[in-house]
Amino acid sequence: MHDATHPAEQTAMFKAGDRLGLDHLKLGMWLFLASEVMFFGGLISAFLHFKINNPSPESSLLDVVLVGINTFVLLASSLTVVLGLAAIQRGDRRGLMGYLVATIILGFAFLFGQGNEFVTLYRHGVTLSSSLFGSSFFTLTGFHGLHVFVGICWALMTLAKAARGGYAQEAHLGVEIFGLYWHFVDIVWIILFTLIYLV
Amino acid sequence: MQSDARIPSRASVRIQTYLLVFLGLALVTAVELAIASLGLARSVRVPILVLLSLGKASLVAAFFMHLRSDSRLYLVIFITPVILILAVAILFVIA
Repeated sequence: MHDATHPAEQTAMFKAGDRLGLDHLKLGMWLFLASEVMFFGGLISAFLHFKINNPSPESSLLDVVLVGINTFVLLASSLTVVLGLAAIQRGDRRGLMGYLVATIILGFAFLFGQGNEFVTLYRHGVTLSSSLFGSSFFTLTGFHGLHVFVGICWALMTLAKAARGGYAQEAHLGVEIFGLYWHFVDIVWIILFTLIYLV
Repeated sequence: MQSDARIPSRASVRIQTYLLVFLGLALVTAVELAIASLGLARSVRVPILVLLSLGKASLVAAFFMHLRSDSRLYLVIFITPVILILAVAILFVIA
C-alpha cells in the first residue's frame, strides 16, 4: 500500500520516533539492556560450566545468610526506585528525591555487604587468581558490583537534576530510564543469588 | 452516587501493586533460603530454585520495569537475548 506521507515528513517523523510510537531514549536503553543480557549471560554460562565440571570446596565459604540479607537490600532498592518514579509521576519532586536518597543508601549497603564477603574470601585465600572458582566468582560478582556502583553514580546524578527542578509530572523520562537500568541490575542479582549461592 | 474520595486513584493502586510485588519478591526469597537449607536432593532442589528465581526476575521485569503494560517491542528486545543465552547456558551445562 502506498504511503502518502512526504519523504521529508517521514524523515522528521522517524527522527521524532513517531513511526514506532516509541521514545528513542527508552528504546536505546532497552537495546543496551539486551546487550547486557548477553554480557552477563556469557559470564553466568562460564561460571555454571566451571561449577558443574570442577566442583570446588571453596564454595562452602560463601555466607548465604549475609548474601540473603544483601538480596533483600537490593530488592528494597528496586522498590524505592519505582516508588520514586510514582512520586514524580504525581508531581511530588520531594518524594522522588527522598526515594533516590534511600536507593543510594541501599546501593551502598549492598556494596558494603559484597565488599565484606570479598574480604572474608581473600582472608581464606580465595582470590581472583587462586582457582577456577575464585576467577569465575570474582569476575561475575565483581562486574555486578561495578554495575551497582555505576547505578549509584547515576542515582546521584538523577538526584542532582531533581534538586535543580529537572523533573516534573510530565517530564520524568530520565528517572524512568535510570529505573530500567537499576531494575536490570536487580534482575541479574536475583539470578546470581540462586546460581552462585543456593544451587 | 459513590463519592470520588472513596475511589482509589490510579496512582495509589499502582503503589499498592508495587508494594505487593515487593512483598512477593521478599517472600519468595525467604522460601528460596528455606529450600536451600532443607538439604533436599540436588535433582529436586535445583529446578525448584531456578524456577523461583526466574519467577522473581519476571515479576521485576513485568511490574517494576513496566514490561507488562509497555510496548511489546521492548519485551521482544529483552526476551530475545534471554532465550538465546538460556540456550547457550544449557549447552554449557551439558557440555
